[in-house]
Amino acid sequence: MALPQRQTDIGPPHYKQFLPPVIEKNYGQWKYHERIDAGTMVHVAESGDKVYTVRVASPRLLSTDTIRDMLDVADKYCDGYIRFTSRNNVEFMTADESKVEPLKKELKDRGYTIGGIGPRITNVVHTQGWVHCHSACTDASGLVKAMMDELYEYFTEKELPAKVRLALACCVNMCGAVHCSDIAVVAVHRKVPVIDHDKIKDMCEIPTTVAACPTRAISPDPAKKSIKIKDEKCMYCGNCFTVCPPIEIHNPEHDGVAIVVGGKIGSLRTGPKFSKLAIPFFYNEPPRWPKVVAAIKNILEVYAKNARKHERLGEWVERIGWERFFKLTGIEFTYQHIDDFTFMRDTLRTSAAFKW
Amino acid sequence: MDTNELKDKIFAFVEAAKGKKKLKEKDIIKGVSADTGVDKDTVKKALREMIDVGRLMYSYGGGASSVEIPSEEYLREKGLIK
Amino acid sequence: MSKKYDTPLLDELEKGPWPSFVTEMKKAAARSEMANDELGQLEKSYRTKRGYWKHGGIVGVLGYGGGVIGRYSSLPDEFPGVAHFHTVRINQPSGWFYTTKALREICDIWDKYGSGLTNLHGSTGDLVLLGTTTENLEPLFAEYSSRGWDLGGSGSAMRTPSCCIGPARCEWANIDTLEICYQMTQKFQDELHRPAFPYKFKIKVAGCAVDCVASIARADCSIIGTWKGKIEIDQDAVQWYAKNGMDIKAEIVDMCPTACISYDGTNLSIDDDNCSRCMHCISKMTKALKPTGEKGATILIGSKAPIVVGSLMSWVIVPFMKLEPPYDELEELIRKMIEWWDDNAKPRERIGELIEARGMREFLEAIGVPPQPQQVFEPRKDPFFFWKDEDLTKE
Repeated sequence: MALPQRQTDIGPPHYKQFLPPVIEKNYGQWKYHERIDAGTMVHVAESGDKVYTVRVASPRLLSTDTIRDMLDVADKYCDGYIRFTSRNNVEFMTADESKVEPLKKELKDRGYTIGGIGPRITNVVHTQGWVHCHSACTDASGLVKAMMDELYEYFTEKELPAKVRLALACCVNMCGAVHCSDIAVVAVHRKVPVIDHDKIKDMCEIPTTVAACPTRAISPDPAKKSIKIKDEKCMYCGNCFTVCPPIEIHNPEHDGVAIVVGGKIGSLRTGPKFSKLAIPFFYNEPPRWPKVVAAIKNILEVYAKNARKHERLGEWVERIGWERFFKLTGIEFTYQHIDDFTFMRDTLRTSAAFKW
Repeated sequence: MDTNELKDKIFAFVEAAKGKKKLKEKDIIKGVSADTGVDKDTVKKALREMIDVGRLMYSYGGGASSVEIPSEEYLREKGLIK
Repeated sequence: MSKKYDTPLLDELEKGPWPSFVTEMKKAAARSEMANDELGQLEKSYRTKRGYWKHGGIVGVLGYGGGVIGRYSSLPDEFPGVAHFHTVRINQPSGWFYTTKALREICDIWDKYGSGLTNLHGSTGDLVLLGTTTENLEPLFAEYSSRGWDLGGSGSAMRTPSCCIGPARCEWANIDTLEICYQMTQKFQDELHRPAFPYKFKIKVAGCAVDCVASIARADCSIIGTWKGKIEIDQDAVQWYAKNGMDIKAEIVDMCPTACISYDGTNLSIDDDNCSRCMHCISKMTKALKPTGEKGATILIGSKAPIVVGSLMSWVIVPFMKLEPPYDELEELIRKMIEWWDDNAKPRERIGELIEARGMREFLEAIGVPPQPQQVFEPRKDPFFFWKDEDLTKE
C-alpha cells in the first residue's frame, strides 16, 4: 500500500482541538479549585461551570493495549478527551458531576489506581533504566514499582505534611528532576572506568574526551593514541563514557544507587532547592531493591511524623538542621556527605551554632 | 558562485574531515564561508538542500550531533540507491 | 505471539498494588516479537545487574537530525527482536491534552511499525515510542506527519518545549502557557529538527511560581508566570477557610516568607509592596486570594542536571516581561541568547555553563538586558570586579 505524503516542520497539532468543551469555554477564566479526595478535584470557573478531574497512576511504560483501555473509559465518561500530567499520571475530566462516581468505579473495576492529588506522593518522574538506555546503572521502572508498592497508601489515601515529589535517575545524566526532588534515587558508579585503548583510536576524539572530564582526571596518551586517567581524581561521573564508549564505566559489581533528599521546584515559602545526599550507596538488588525501598520509607515516615503542615521535606530539614535529620532518621554520616566538588564553599558550616 | 559548485565545495570540506573531526553544521558553514567568500546564509541553505536529498546527513555520536557523508547502508535504507 | 522467555525476576514486579510496567511489556509481547525479546533481555539485565544497550547510533528520517534515538542491543544474536530498538519522539500537544480518536490513531500506527510500547510521556515531554527498526522509520514518519504529528527534538538541538496545564484548567496561570509553548515550538521548528547548536537547549513554560513543569530545574530557558499588581482578598472566602479548619495564623501568616500578611481573626491583609509572589498563600487559599494587575513572566536561564560540573538552577535574567501574541519579543530574546551561546560555546557546553565561564555581564550585554537587583539574591561579596573602559568614562 502506498504511503501517505510525508510533511516536515509542521510541529505538534494545535492543542485547542484536544481541549474538552468545558475547558475551551472557560479557558483562562478559572476561579478556584477544591480537592474532593485523594484522586478527585473540581475546578470552578467564573462562569459557574465546573470540571471534575479524576487522576490515576500509570507505570509510564505503557502498552498500546492499556492506552486503548484508558481511551475506552474516556469515551464512555469524558466525551472522548483525556489528558496526561507532567508526572506520568492520567487525568479523566468531566463537566458532569453525576458521572464522577461511575467513572471512579469503572476505573477501579478495571484495575486503575486513583490518587496523587494534594499533600501526598504523586507519580514518580523517572528514566528508562535497563529497559532502554545504554547509560543506565540500575533499572528505573523496577525500582519505582517496588518503591510505590510500598508507599501505595500515600498515593491513594494518607496525607503527608506537604506534597512529596519522588524521582529516580538511572545514572547521573539525570533525565528527570532528581536534582530538585523531595526524595530521589540516583544510580552511581564507584570505580574508575576501564579503557579499551584499541577502540579509542577509531571511535573517539581525544580533545573532546579530555574536555568531558569535570575533574581533569583525563589527559591524552600520545604513545597509545589514547587517553589516560588519573585514578585519584576520578569521581566516576561517566561523562567520558558518554562521549567515548570504549571508556567503560559500568561495573555491575560496584554500581548501585544513592538517595538524595530535600529538593524542591516551586518558589513557595522558600526558594527552589537542590536535593542533598542522604545515603551514598546501596547495591543493586533486583528485582525489588528491598533496602532502598525501606530506607525511602523510613525517611518519608520520619518526615511525616516531625514536619509541620505545608512544610516540604527540605524545609523541614532546614528548620531542624541536618544533624537532627541524621539523628532522627538513624542514617550514618560519612565522608561522602561532605562536598569536595562544586558546592564545598556553600555547604561547609561556618558557624559554631548547631545541635546535638 | 554557482550553487552546484558551492555544494561540491561543501562536500569536499566534509570529506576532508572524515575520520579526523566530527563536524557540526556550524563548523561547515563557518569553514566553507571563509574558504569561498560565500555568505553564511547561502552556505547554510546549500547544506540543507544537500541533507534533504541525502548527499550529506546528520549524525549523532559521542553525545553530540554532527554532519557526515552518508554510508551506502543509509542511502539504501532511504531508497536513494538500489 | 507465544511466550518466549521465562521471567521469574520480572514476574516479581507484577506483584503488589502499583501498576506494573512488566504487565505492560507482557501485553505488548503477546503481539510483538520485538517486545518479546525486550522482555527477555530485561530479565537478563535483572540477573546480571547490567544493561545491554549500545550507545545511540546514527538513525533518523531524511532531512532531520533528531527525533529518533538509535538504540541497538549489544546481544543481537541472543535477542534478535531488539537488534534495532529505536526510540521515536513525537512532539506532544501543549499541556498533554488528547482526544481519544487522536491517541487511538497514534496507537494504531505504532502497532503497525513498532513494539507497541510507549512512554506517556518522556522526561522532556514528548510522546515516546519505544522500539522500532531502521527500515520502519520513513514509513512511520510518513504515517504520522501526514496526520499532523511531527517528531520532537534530540541531539544538539532545540528540544521539544513543554508547559504546565496553565489557563486550560488552573486559576493561577499568569500567562497562556499552552499558546506560548505552541508558538515557540512552531517558531523554532528548524532548530528543533536540524541540530545546529553546541548542545541541547530546552524551553519550559510554567504559569506561576509553583512551576508544575519544573522549568527552573530542567530548562535552559525557564519561563515562569508572575504578576505586578496586588493580591485581591475575598474576606468571606477567608472566613470560609477559617471555618473549614484552616489555622490561618500558623498556615498562612507565619509561613509567609516576607512576613507581609496579617490577620486579626476576621480580616486578612497583605502588604503588597513586600510580597515576593511566592504563591504560598494563594495556593493554600485559592478561593480567597487572587493576583491582579499586570500579568507576565520572569525569564530565567541555565538550569541543567549535574553533567558536567554540577547541577544548575535557572537564573533570573528578565524579571518581568509581558507575554502576548504573537510573542515576537520572547522569540527575539531567545534568539539573541542562542546566538551568543552558539558563537561562544565549546561542543557539549550548555548555556548556563557558558554564562558561568564568561560572566553574567557578557551575557547580559549580548542580549541587551540591563543589570537589575532581581537578578541576584545579593550583590557580590568580593572586592574584585571588572571595569571596562566605557565604565570609566561614564560619569
